[in-house]
Formats: sequence, C-alpha cells, structure tokens
Amino acid sequence: MRWCLALLICAFVATVNALSSSGSRLLVVLDETTEKSTYSTLWSDLEARGYDLSFESPKSDKLSLFEHGERAYDHLLILPPKSKGLGPSLTPKHIVDFLNKDGNIVLALSGKSSTSSAVSSLLLEVDIHLANDRSAVVIDHFNYDTISAAEKHDVLLLQRSTPLRPDVKAFFDGEGVLALPRVAPQTLGSDSQLLAPILQAPATAYAYNPKEEIPSPDDIEATGSQLNIVSALQARNSARFTVLGSVEALEDKWFSASVKAPNGKKVPTVNREFARQLTGWTFKETGVVKVGKIEHHLATEGEVAAEDLNPKIYRIKNETVFRIEVSEYSFDKWVPFEVPAEDALQLEFTMLSPFHRLALQPISRTETSTVFGTQFVTPDQHGIFSFRVNYKRPFLTNIEEKHEVTVRHFAHDEYARSWAISGGWVWIAGLWAVIGGFLAFVIVWLYSAPTVNKVKKTQ
Amino acid sequence: MHLWQATAPFCLLVAAALPAAAASSWGFTDATVAVQPKGAGVNGGFKETLSVSKPLSKPVSLAGADTLRVTLTTQEGSSAKRPHQAFLLLKDSETGLDISYPFTVKENGKSRVELTQKELPIQFLSVSEPIDARVVIGSFGSSDAYDSSIFPLSIERHPDHPIPTFEAARYGKLPEINHVFKDAATSPPVIITLAFVALVGAALPVLAGLWLFLGANVSHLPTAFKSAPLPHAVFLGSLFAFEGIFFLYYTSWNLFQTLPAAAVVGAVAFVSGSRALGEVQGRRLAGLR
Repeated sequence: MRWCLALLICAFVATVNALSSSGSRLLVVLDETTEKSTYSTLWSDLEARGYDLSFESPKSDKLSLFEHGERAYDHLLILPPKSKGLGPSLTPKHIVDFLNKDGNIVLALSGKSSTSSAVSSLLLEVDIHLANDRSAVVIDHFNYDTISAAEKHDVLLLQRSTPLRPDVKAFFDGEGVLALPRVAPQTLGSDSQLLAPILQAPATAYAYNPKEEIPSPDDIEATGSQLNIVSALQARNSARFTVLGSVEALEDKWFSASVKAPNGKKVPTVNREFARQLTGWTFKETGVVKVGKIEHHLATEGEVAAEDLNPKIYRIKNETVFRIEVSEYSFDKWVPFEVPAEDALQLEFTMLSPFHRLALQPISRTETSTVFGTQFVTPDQHGIFSFRVNYKRPFLTNIEEKHEVTVRHFAHDEYARSWAISGGWVWIAGLWAVIGGFLAFVIVWLYSAPTVNKVKKTQ
Repeated sequence: MHLWQATAPFCLLVAAALPAAAASSWGFTDATVAVQPKGAGVNGGFKETLSVSKPLSKPVSLAGADTLRVTLTTQEGSSAKRPHQAFLLLKDSETGLDISYPFTVKENGKSRVELTQKELPIQFLSVSEPIDARVVIGSFGSSDAYDSSIFPLSIERHPDHPIPTFEAARYGKLPEINHVFKDAATSPPVIITLAFVALVGAALPVLAGLWLFLGANVSHLPTAFKSAPLPHAVFLGSLFAFEGIFFLYYTSWNLFQTLPAAAVVGAVAFVSGSRALGEVQGRRLAGLR
C-alpha cells in the first residue's frame, strides 16, 4: 500500500516536473516529415522538458489550431515552409487569433529562400518588417564562421546579448558563441512597446539579396544594430511571439558544431543552450510573474487582526500599509521574484490620476515568492481611490492589479479639540471668564448688603 | 619575461608595418573629408586628408545646412578594387547607436558619400560628445575587412533652433509621485496667545476690584443661610452644577448625556431658586436691601 502511494506521488512529481507554466501541447509545423530528423536534438530537448510534440505539415487537412472554438494547442513552432505559403489553416488571421487566445508562437525564418508573403503579412500584423524583397540575408565581414562560410560570410558568429536596457531582466545572456547561418533580418516598428529585440546584428553587418551582384546604396534599407536576428512580441494578454531569423541555427548540425571567427579560436557553439532559452521564454517557462496575496491595512504596531485587513474604507491622512506577494516561474518552479537593479515595482494610489506612485521594497521572502511593500499617508482628498500595481516590462508577463477603496474625510469627532489649538486659548479663556463673572455676580446680587455711608452721601 | 616585454612592441610594429605579409586586407587611399557650407563652391569650406591608420585628432564639425563629403579609393592589398561593402559608419559610444551610409563605389574603387544633418537620425542631434565616424570596407573571400575610426564628427546646432526629440513609448518605471499635502492650519506664536489669555483673565480681578470699590460685599450670607439654608445651598449648588455639566459637555459628554442632566439640574434650580429668591424678597421687604 505504502509503496503504491509512493509510486503514485513519484509519477505525479514526474509529470509536474519541468513543464511550462501555460500548458504542454506543442504543435510543430514542418514542411515535410523528412525534415524532422534534421532537428532531432531540439525535439528531444523539448520532450525532455515535458512538451507533447505533434508534427503537422502546413498542407495537412487535419491541421487546425482550434477545436470547438478553443485552442487545440498551447504553443506553436512554425518552421519556414518550402512552398509559397502556410496553407489555409495557418493564415495570418488564424495565427493572430491563436495569439489572442493566449497561445505562444515561435516563428523561424530562413535566408536560404525568400520568405512567403503570408509570413510577411503575418509579421506586418505585429509591426515586424522584413526586407522589401523578402529574400535578404545578413552578412558581416567581421563576425563570420571561417570554417563553414569562408567565402560567403553568411554564417554569423555572435555573443548572446546582454539586455539593451539596464532595467530589463536578462533571459538570453551567457557565455559562448552563437552560430546563425543565413539570417533573414527583421526591423521593428518603433511605435510599439510590445516589441523587443532579443538579438541584434553587429554594427558592421548589413543585409542584401544574394541573388543580386553588389547592392547599390539605395537598396540598403537597414544596417548594423537596426537589423534584428531574433525579435519578440509580447501581446497585451502576455502571449508571446518570437521570430527567429535563422532556422538553421536550430539544426542538430549547428547544435554541436565548432566555429572559428576571423582571427579567433575554434570554439563550440552554444546554439543548444540558446534554443533552450528562446523556446523556454516563448513557451512561458521563464519570465512569467504571478501575484499572490495582496494586503493593505492601517499602519499599526504589531500584528494586524484579520478583520482589519483590506478594509473597504480609509480616512484622509491615514498611515496605510500595502503588501503584494510576487513569484516568478523559472523553468519548472516558482521562485521569489526579484526586481532588476534599475527597475522598480511601483504602487499607485489613484483617483483618475495617481496621487502617489511609490516604489515597493522587498520586505520578506518565502520559498516561492517575495513580499513587496510600502507605507504611505493617504492624500488629503476624499473620494474613491484604488491601489494599482501596473507592472509591464519587456520579457515579463504583465501584472495589472487594481483594488478600490473609499477615502472619507474627517468625521465631526476626529478633528483636534479646541484646547489643543493654541490659537483658541484666548476664546476659551474668555468663555470661562464670563462664566466666572456670572457666578460671582449671582453671589454678589444675592448676598450683598447696601453700604450705609454711600447711601448717606447720596442722600 | 623581460625579453618578451621588450620585444613585444617591436613585434607589433612589424606586424603593423607589414599588412601585406598576412592574407591581403582591405583598406583605402586618397581619402579626404570635406565640409561644404551651403552656397559655397566645390572647394569652399573645410577639407582634410584622411589616413588609413590614424583618425583625425580634431573633430570635423557639421553645421546646419552643411554637406559632409567623404571620398576615398578602396583597395584590396595595394590594388584599387570594388568591395561588396563600403560604409561610412557613425557610432555613438554613449548610447551604442550606430548607422551606416553606403559609399557610391565605382568599378575602380573610387567612392564617395555625402551627408547632411537632415539624413542623420534625430538621436544623433542631441549627443554632446563627437560621434565616432568609421569606415567599414569588406568583401567576400579571405581578405581581412577594414573597420577603423577615421575622424570624430561633431554636430553643430544653431543655438536658437530647438533640438528635435523623439520619445517612443516604452514600458519602464515611471517617475515617483509623492502627494503634496495642503498646509496644516497654523496658530499664532504661543507667547502672543498667552499674552491675550492673560489680558482676558485680568478682566475678572478688574471686575472684582471695581465691585469692591463700589462697595459690593457678601454681608447678608449668614442671614440668608440662617433663614433659608437649604434653598440657598441647593440653588447655588445647582448653578455650579450647570456650569459643571457644560464643562463635561465640552470635554467628553454628548448631547444625550447632557440634556437629561441639564433637565434635572434645571428643575432643582427652578424649585430651589424660587425659595431662595423668596428669602431675598423677604429681606427687601424688611428694608435690609
């Protein structure tokens, strides 16, 4: 009986272990099943991380992203098709619908052949732009693999980038060199705050169509770090969409290849580790934050009784405490969330516009979460306020918390008493002088005897 | 160790002096940079020869409507040749921003690029330090590509013209806001208040002194208490009790505690007051008042 239970728990732990925070059904859209063996290490890595892989050809009749109006898969990995488009069941609309229903997508491109217009128009939906003729390849005469591309210089060797901004968490950094053969570059629209580059081309890189001889200056649309090799979109619903410029980088061959930069040493690639980081982030194994308990109450000494927690009403100028518990998912478990060095988790106390916007400081931490908190005085303005935590950052899922409370003004008996106001002492003294004078007058009137001398004088 | 340290710079020198010894590498010759103010002739304005190995020490300044022109002849090894890539690369070391302007290259390697402030990204217009202008020449095959700084470029803006800014919406932390509270009500200095309190308090002694001067006294108190002790004591007591009730109402009682107490004390004062005043009338009728 006991070992039976142990076995059951073991089995349960095994299934729970190493799973994305948002489901394990992964659909891989592959052109032909023959292509499948080229990426076998990637598939086994994904399966080892707990994904159920299904392979479909874009032309297949059975292929559908939805079943009974719901997502049939949690994640989607699209490899570039050899044919013109992605077929009738993977139109840009279907894929955007999939994204809108919280599905995550990795879209791989290839510079080997020109990208289909269906993919290009899908990317336009999210403000990612391909080169005009859709068949550009990134070339860099300074960072290429001298072993495999000594002549054509189209296998880029790049360091994994540290974040561009100091206040963004690093999910894709690390030691080692990435080999990226025949990259189809993307440029990002500058208006969208949902887009973020994961890997940019070096400053000396440029893109050109290999079918043409020498690019004329007018043909060069973007150069250097404006060319993105891997870019990401995180939608408002936190669904993730990653574009990888070089599908070949995921091949077994490049997972285990050794490369040599000009004037460099021969080193093994870190493509396998990068693929893990990239799919892990896209399929929500990393960068997922979750809010636990939220508490607010009046600032008091010692423990707060349960009935005093999260009151519906506060008074103006109340000293108030706010606490929020945040966890972050890291591959297979929830860990305490840490705010990046130059970033801040901010609390807003708002009525139409924020009256307070304060950084929440880490107060304590549990095994799976960090409790952030702050203390502030409610503004001297009554009305319906809300505690808001609106934490939206590149590469992290969105936190949007809003808790409404009433802030009332002083009740009649909550103002300072008149004797506490020094300016009122004169009036208080006057009042008691009148009372004292009245009592003295009553006594004198009741018991005073007429003075004899004076009466005589007046007579 | 010492020997190595002594020979290392020499080795480097040799290596630098013999570029052709290794695989051939890209470079350029006959390079000039010119800044031509608007309206000036072809040879008007600033002109300087550029060197492959060393950047200009002084920044080249590009003002409002000027045209910056860089001309050079690209070379592979020592023969003029057309490369696949010939860029003028501007790089801001502070922000890490980079942008390339491709040279128009002829078959014989003669290349030129022209640039005005209008073509620069507006982020470059607001940098304080001179921008690093580099030349990048590279092509396919085994020849080493060339990438080196050739001159610093400083962007001169007319001080009266505002620098255009570009603020893209990005998720990030927002400035902290602390609510500014209205000023609390203030009282005058306590010393002034106390002076006026003393003035008000002085009214009582002044009143008493005036009454005493006019002959006020309490000589009838024994007489009154002898003829009607209870009414007088109770009447005076009820008056004091009234003031006590008011004091309690002021400090702690509410209206519902005050009114019944005031009603009881009022009734007592009415009854005892009419007796006490009857006694006072008796004194008046007796001619004592």
